[in-house]
Amino acid sequence: MSIIDLTSMGEPQSDLKKEINDRLTKLQDEISDYCFQCAKCTSGCEAHKLLELEPHKTVALLKRGLINELINSDVIWTCMTCYKCWERCPQRVSPVEVLFALKNMAVASGKQIPGKYTAMLQSILSTGLIQDVQQIATKSAKTIKRDELGLPPISKPTDLSKFQAGIMKIAVEKV
Amino acid sequence: MPTEQYAYELSIRETLPLLGIELVDVEGFSCCGEPMKSVNQLLTLYLSARNIAIAEKHHLDVFVPCAMCHLALSECQHVLENSPAMKERINGMLSAEDLKYTEKRHVVHTVDLLYDIIGIDKIKEHVKKPLNGLKIAAHYGCHILRPSEIGRPDDSENPQKIETILKALGAEPIQYPQKLDCCGAPLLANLPDSALTKTGQKLQAIQEQGIHAMVDVCPWCHKMFDSRQAKAGEIVAVKLDVPVLYLTQLLGIALGLPVEKLGLDLNLSPVEKLKLIEVN
Amino acid sequence: MQRIGVFVCHCGINIAQTVDVEALTKYASHLNGVVVAEHYKYMCSDVGATLIKDAIKKFKLDGVVIASCSPRMHEHTFQRVASDGGLNPYLVEISNIREQCSWVHSDREKATEKAKSLVRIAVAKARVLEPLTMSTIKVTPEALVIGGGVAGIQASLDLANDGFKVYLVERDPSIGGHMAQLDKTFPTLDCSSCILTPKMMEVTNHENIELLTYAEVASVEGSIGNYTVKIRKKPRYVNLEKCTGCGDCATACRLKDRIADEFNEGMGKRGAAYMPFPQAVPLKYCLDASKCLFLTKGKCGDEPLCQKACASGAIDFNQKEEVVERKVGAIIVATGYDLLDPTSMYEYGYATSPDVLTTLELERLISSSGPTLGEIVRPSNKEKPKSVTFILCVGSRDETQCTWCCRIGCMSALKHVYLLREKLGEDVEINVCYNDLRSYGKGYEEFYRQVRGLHANMFRGRPSEVRVMKDHLKTDIFDTTTSKLFEVKTEMVVLVPALVPRKDTGNLSRLLRLTLSGDGFFLEAHPKLRPVDTFVNGIFIAGCCQGPKDIQDTVAQASGAASRAATILSKDELEIDPLIANVDEDLCSGCGMCISVCPYSAIERVEETRNGKLVIHAKINEGLCQGCGSCVSACPSGAIQQRGFKDKQLLPMIDEIT
Repeated sequence: MSIIDLTSMGEPQSDLKKEINDRLTKLQDEISDYCFQCAKCTSGCEAHKLLELEPHKTVALLKRGLINELINSDVIWTCMTCYKCWERCPQRVSPVEVLFALKNMAVASGKQIPGKYTAMLQSILSTGLIQDVQQIATKSAKTIKRDELGLPPISKPTDLSKFQAGIMKIAVEKV
Repeated sequence: MPTEQYAYELSIRETLPLLGIELVDVEGFSCCGEPMKSVNQLLTLYLSARNIAIAEKHHLDVFVPCAMCHLALSECQHVLENSPAMKERINGMLSAEDLKYTEKRHVVHTVDLLYDIIGIDKIKEHVKKPLNGLKIAAHYGCHILRPSEIGRPDDSENPQKIETILKALGAEPIQYPQKLDCCGAPLLANLPDSALTKTGQKLQAIQEQGIHAMVDVCPWCHKMFDSRQAKAGEIVAVKLDVPVLYLTQLLGIALGLPVEKLGLDLNLSPVEKLKLIEVN
Repeated sequence: MQRIGVFVCHCGINIAQTVDVEALTKYASHLNGVVVAEHYKYMCSDVGATLIKDAIKKFKLDGVVIASCSPRMHEHTFQRVASDGGLNPYLVEISNIREQCSWVHSDREKATEKAKSLVRIAVAKARVLEPLTMSTIKVTPEALVIGGGVAGIQASLDLANDGFKVYLVERDPSIGGHMAQLDKTFPTLDCSSCILTPKMMEVTNHENIELLTYAEVASVEGSIGNYTVKIRKKPRYVNLEKCTGCGDCATACRLKDRIADEFNEGMGKRGAAYMPFPQAVPLKYCLDASKCLFLTKGKCGDEPLCQKACASGAIDFNQKEEVVERKVGAIIVATGYDLLDPTSMYEYGYATSPDVLTTLELERLISSSGPTLGEIVRPSNKEKPKSVTFILCVGSRDETQCTWCCRIGCMSALKHVYLLREKLGEDVEINVCYNDLRSYGKGYEEFYRQVRGLHANMFRGRPSEVRVMKDHLKTDIFDTTTSKLFEVKTEMVVLVPALVPRKDTGNLSRLLRLTLSGDGFFLEAHPKLRPVDTFVNGIFIAGCCQGPKDIQDTVAQASGAASRAATILSKDELEIDPLIANVDEDLCSGCGMCISVCPYSAIERVEETRNGKLVIHAKINEGLCQGCGSCVSACPSGAIQQRGFKDKQLLPMIDEIT
């Protein structure tokens, strides 16, 4: 009949849960249902000690369908993508991929993208590279540019308009 | 790597041709998309697929010195090979640039290029200035070891390829409990202090174990441990003084290459402590 | 056969839901040769049986077709019904309209049409079936038990006490298996040796048991009731009659204390001349041929010291491997288990630190006959540990290692907590990291409650790794009960590894033609109803070789297997299924093709003189033939046919549907 989370007074969002599980199946044939909460992932999580990310809890909330709570939280952005959780999970669950799915969903639903991701995205859109060619500092406090080092010109998309046309198709698509 | 971590590129271009590898520069590559995974994973798949498709057009294997890029490309191939539906979808998008992904290509990283393709024997043959038992801590990073399910350049729990290479160069690699710890780089975009805390903690642990230097094989890891070592030290309130080099830089030194060509003046960590080299 | 009765079973709704049984019956009644066609809800029931028997009498049937479930289920049932009704049981043909029709299709119309075809071809065969009689073979009232652990010991004693001769073959120099390595057993905390050694003594003293230790099964031929087994006895280089078990050879051995001792899981040392453990049965010494200097290099100093020291002259370097043959009527396999080597879970540090142990290794430290005489100390520095941490489910319930639960891990860990508390007192910190705590058996929950009162830190969760620091071990464990991450600094880590099949299980399965289940353990014939039978008649399995389990379940299975074996051994004769191969000697050219394909070595080449001419032909040993049909398909001249499946019986079936 119904299940209500008394902390948030919300019911599980099973359609969103299904969307995430479908996506996980598409990408690596591993869904979250098999998690039995051994917490081996959280015990070894690189982000847990500093930032309190609990991969097993993320999966548990996903299993329960409480997606909105996750999407609206800041903690999903703390994952260090070290992949230890997936590597060591005895049930082949991939909390890191679940987190990617949640982050993607947060962005798609209009939440603000934290930090420098927006800048990186814009750089990719305009040049195909993650940032402009940088001028860096050397040990002796000089600054130097790439072409001064004798390196060949950087490889980047030759026809930017075609490149952008390809990417634009993705902007509105989900996995 | 190409926009900032020049030392890696310099040392690669100097050392690998000596060991028999022909590096071919190809036009048209873009970002692999891995840092964008959190924003839109489909974009990552697309960008990686397009890079592989460009290599395919030139009938070449892909050498990917950056661990993050290597993971992006490997994972992309894994998904496209296992899902014909996804492959078709991506190819539909790639057609805008007249590209097509048809089949799996050989994608190698620096570590397996040196160990599996070039081989230890060949490296040993070319060593001119052995490293005099220098005590080195190898930092593999996360992305060339995991997730082992899709096949990575080295074993995820007990990787030894870098250590074997270091031994061939005459160094003494040291095992340390924190070997598999992450550098923190992926959080640099949104939580820089936390990212640098991870960096600082690992450097501190290494410093306390009497190790002469640390080598890494990824521009992100190197950015954290080398370029941002001072800042990391501030964040964890420890004076950090660990020389950090790219494996290829150390390789170059052992091969007898002149130090100027290996970009060692670009390392911000105290590499001059290693008396083998003189930095201008 | 022109008076055939067709009986269609509904099988409740299993068949009737998908196949129109009434239409099918009506269709069958019109087939050539069919004089009666009936249908009923449960043909295998008493009512169904009566229906068939009555029809046989009333319509004077000379053939019966049952359209029902797979013959694997009820072929024997219906054969018996026919026999009771006065019809030869081999004039019954079963048409599988369940597993091969109603259970795999959903379209009622199409399924019914298919069922009609299936019945039509069954009737075509029934028309040409021949009556057959079972022959009998004599049963050898002796048994072979492979494996001398507690399962093998129990099964041997049960059969021997029933009055049957038993050959107990054990690979190691002594019986006892893993149970002999244990200090105490849960939940009663009985001393393991104290409850096992009396049984071991009974075995060695029993007049009906021939104990063959340091021996392996080399080959098994024959079939139920009549197995011929070749057993390879490895040379001990010690004369068992002369050896008094005094131990002077071991004390004198040049390699004394230099070889890792298997019984102590490599934590202790022995010499090349050794006895596996103090309560070994037989209480005799043995020379390790792979390490003994004289046996490997031909020279042991000036002279072998063991030989010099032995007052009875029992050392015999001339002993050779001996192959003996035994004939038995039934075989019980009780080869036990191995522990998963935790090196494959590298992150737990088993390969990197001497202070990371398995449960069996800890058991040997706790045991007063172990390498430290019962002193629980850290292998690294021989000091008492201030803290011991247990990690359960190492490699168990893990899709990347062993998917199954080891069943005994939780109870073993609880037992160890109890014993450590007893031996080291309140000073030692004991931590237990568990996934789920499974204390399912009788008395187990009570034991768990008792251990909960012993001030051990119970953490619910699996640690990700164990870090080997300079002088201690460190692990982080997220405890889901408090939702907190704990950093545990400890001095000894005990891993509770998965239980896996013995390494040579594959070899043994080939020798005996036994199937293995997906996890590599021996496959039981049915998980619920036939847990100790296998698919090979006359061979039974018991104990951990069938799957991980504790000692009480092992002993129960051993007695169960013994009882199953006794069912065979207590008969003078067994009936053999006549559905086996048969050679038409007139057609046979003696080419020998059949002999080369027979997996049961049941065919021999016979030379005879007939009417002055030399005739060579194949001859089938009916006791060995299993009716697999390989020879039938190999024979180039069609001289071999299989009774009940002859070409003239199968071809009409094909003709009906082409």
